[in-house]
Amino acid sequence: MLQELFKNTKEPLLNIYFTAGYPQLNSMPEILEGLVNSGVDMVEIGMPYSDPLSDGPTIQNSSSIAIKNGITTDMIFDQLSKCPSNISKIMMGYYNAVYLYGVEKFCEKCKDNGVSGVILPDLPIDIYLKEYKGIFEKYGISNIFLITPETTESRIRYIDECSTSFIYAVSSSSTTGKGTGIQSAEGYLRRLKGMNLTNPLMVGFNISTKEDFDFASTYTAGGIIGSAFIKHIAGSKNLTQDTETFINSIREKK
Amino acid sequence: MKIKVCGMKHPENINAVSQCEPDFMGFIFYKKSPRYVLDKTLVFAKEMNPNTKTVGVFVNSPISEVLEIVQEYNLNFVQLHGNESVDYAKKLYNAGVNLIKAFQVNKNFDWDKIKDYKPFVNYLLFDTATKSYGGSGLKFNWELLRNYKEEIPFFLSGGIEIDDAEMIKEIDLPQLFAIDINSKFETEPGVKNEELVNKMINTIRMKSKYQVNDKGFYGEYGGAFIPEMLYPNIKELQESYEEIIQSDSFQEELQALLKDYVGRPTPLYYSKRLSDHYKADIYLKREDLCHTGAHKINNALGQILLAKKRNKKRIIAETGAGQHGVATATACALMGLECVVYMGAKDIKRQAPNVARMKMLGASIVPVTSGSQTLKDATNEAIRDWINNPTDTHYLIGSVVGPHPYPDMVAKFQAVISKEIKNQIKENPTHIIACIGGGSNAIGAFYHFLEDEDVELIGIEAGGMGIDTPETAATLALGSQGVLHACMTTVLQTEDGQVIEPHSISAGLDYPGIGPQHAHLHKTKRVKYSNITDQEALDAAHFLSHMEGIIPALESSHALAYLEKMEIKPTDRIIINLSGRGDKDLETLTKTIKE
Repeated sequence: MLQELFKNTKEPLLNIYFTAGYPQLNSMPEILEGLVNSGVDMVEIGMPYSDPLSDGPTIQNSSSIAIKNGITTDMIFDQLSKCPSNISKIMMGYYNAVYLYGVEKFCEKCKDNGVSGVILPDLPIDIYLKEYKGIFEKYGISNIFLITPETTESRIRYIDECSTSFIYAVSSSSTTGKGTGIQSAEGYLRRLKGMNLTNPLMVGFNISTKEDFDFASTYTAGGIIGSAFIKHIAGSKNLTQDTETFINSIREKK
Repeated sequence: MKIKVCGMKHPENINAVSQCEPDFMGFIFYKKSPRYVLDKTLVFAKEMNPNTKTVGVFVNSPISEVLEIVQEYNLNFVQLHGNESVDYAKKLYNAGVNLIKAFQVNKNFDWDKIKDYKPFVNYLLFDTATKSYGGSGLKFNWELLRNYKEEIPFFLSGGIEIDDAEMIKEIDLPQLFAIDINSKFETEPGVKNEELVNKMINTIRMKSKYQVNDKGFYGEYGGAFIPEMLYPNIKELQESYEEIIQSDSFQEELQALLKDYVGRPTPLYYSKRLSDHYKADIYLKREDLCHTGAHKINNALGQILLAKKRNKKRIIAETGAGQHGVATATACALMGLECVVYMGAKDIKRQAPNVARMKMLGASIVPVTSGSQTLKDATNEAIRDWINNPTDTHYLIGSVVGPHPYPDMVAKFQAVISKEIKNQIKENPTHIIACIGGGSNAIGAFYHFLEDEDVELIGIEAGGMGIDTPETAATLALGSQGVLHACMTTVLQTEDGQVIEPHSISAGLDYPGIGPQHAHLHKTKRVKYSNITDQEALDAAHFLSHMEGIIPALESSHALAYLEKMEIKPTDRIIINLSGRGDKDLETLTKTIKE
């Protein structure tokens, strides 16, 4: 499904991250409705974790609020099952939660609930290949790997070989929401474009405005916005409407 | 697994091989052997590094001659390699000689004949059967060892060569105690190739079932569960750390600092009053006497030298009790490197003296206000800093936690504790007790005893208000398997994988995970783990202060408190690793002084 999305869409793709269970325990349907209405291509559902090492203060804070709200992995799947839509869905989280949930059970639940990709930044590729690749394939779940400006060319090529939908290109060596400016990644994005990789690239980290998104999209298939969106919906009284307002500020409705 | 290098002859060669620190070195007193000792060999053997035990190998010599030689050259063991009778062994053994009885094994070997020797030998040695007495350079069929049903540990001998290391590792016999290497490591009879010996020793020691494997795991624990942002940094560290820290120039610099700057070796103090009180021999390993007041400096200096060799300009660290922060700030001041210490806001309040010391040493302290505001969150923030500064910064982790290679690297730097203990004792202690947060002082105190199964190793976690309450940090008692701070280990967590905020009166033990090696030592039952409450630790701190005039850190007080809980026999020789001094805890401690 992810593969088809990339194949069939000529326009830059917009992927929005939000933390499940935030701002309220049951906010997911409203947020998803806004995202679907405003024509977002992909959603990345964050599974909150108490110790998110790759995340800056914004996503850390949304995660700890969500945990306080009482969110669990099962509840995330339950919420997803209640708001079916055709939008491409990815789950993003840390390995520990998936490990404790059981990798096979997790993949099965993903499949049942229309999730076609998973991002686990702290699951090493060699362990994935050795232990879990078969399980992911059995349920048709694509494991999405990250690359950064520090990743060597040979490793990027290796990750490209291991990827089955797209590669998540982190725009700077940083935690999320650092706001160092996407423009400084130009050399890196240009280099990536020149590598003619098999899998499409989506750029994440440091994208918060239309300009950032357009800039990233010049070199890649599109961009991922997380922290900026989380900030936007903090304290929202009308999540669906506020979500649409945010998306429309990034990209005109298709 | 222990290693014996046998057939040593020439002084220069003995000197070179002893640098590799084999566990035993054998000298042959059989005149027909081409490796028969020289007079000058023996004078040298008297001065052997105490980590290497000397073994005299005899073949049917008169008992009086054996006794004379043992006495003259202080031999630690005698190996009987001929047809010595049970009565012969008994006489020597009763004269106080430690014995290894060799047997030559082939498919017709009568395993029953070992039985009569059992009361009079410390070890057995199985060699290849030959017409003369050993020295064939041939292996026997090791499958035959399956016929050995006794409990006495044995040396495996006969034609062992460098390529056998892997196969030896796979011999699944608990009685296999050591290997005996000789002719396959020689350039000529009696002259060992020290590089080859060193390689064998490293391979065998590396392959210990208690140590990290080549994938960075201890059994199922360990590994490097890191986001891609840290991959290049960790990968480079993984590939370079062993070579750097084993190099002569590195070791020279480190050893000099440990001696003259830290004040090592730290004493192994026989505590007379505790011994009288507990009716056994109690020793304190005085890590509290290290410069900066705790064992943490051993690791901080090791890593700072490593960081320098890797051209890092900036050092970051996490700290709980502030001891690691102080050690890091000290090492940075010494080397002129920028130092940033992450410390939980709650810990900043309860360990004020250490905060002041770090500031005095020129470190910047970043208060961490997320989560529990203690060690766990300080570690998170330090890792995030590292992600944001991947090229010029070294993350100086203070415990045996974090992604591979940190647990192994920190353990190697702290192993100096047990190495010194080995030099300071005549015979192995019965118990070694150490407190555990992440577990670095404990690994340091246990490291060189892990293969000595006769020593009971005991790790003490912080029970907090008690392990039946939520206010605890006893990870191994209550945790489950999971990933914390980039390694697979045991974690205090909910069923859903959210890490639970721990509690301990001692900031250094207030951690919801534990080093992966400890998780493995717990699973394999090599180390016994128990826990001590806040109150028991406080009581122990007051007790030691009154009994010995030593104010211990609250962390180390957990280890001391276990003396109250364990069954002690008069023959016990117990070592407590006194990991740090209590100056930093005075505010907490003085509140509980009984008027």
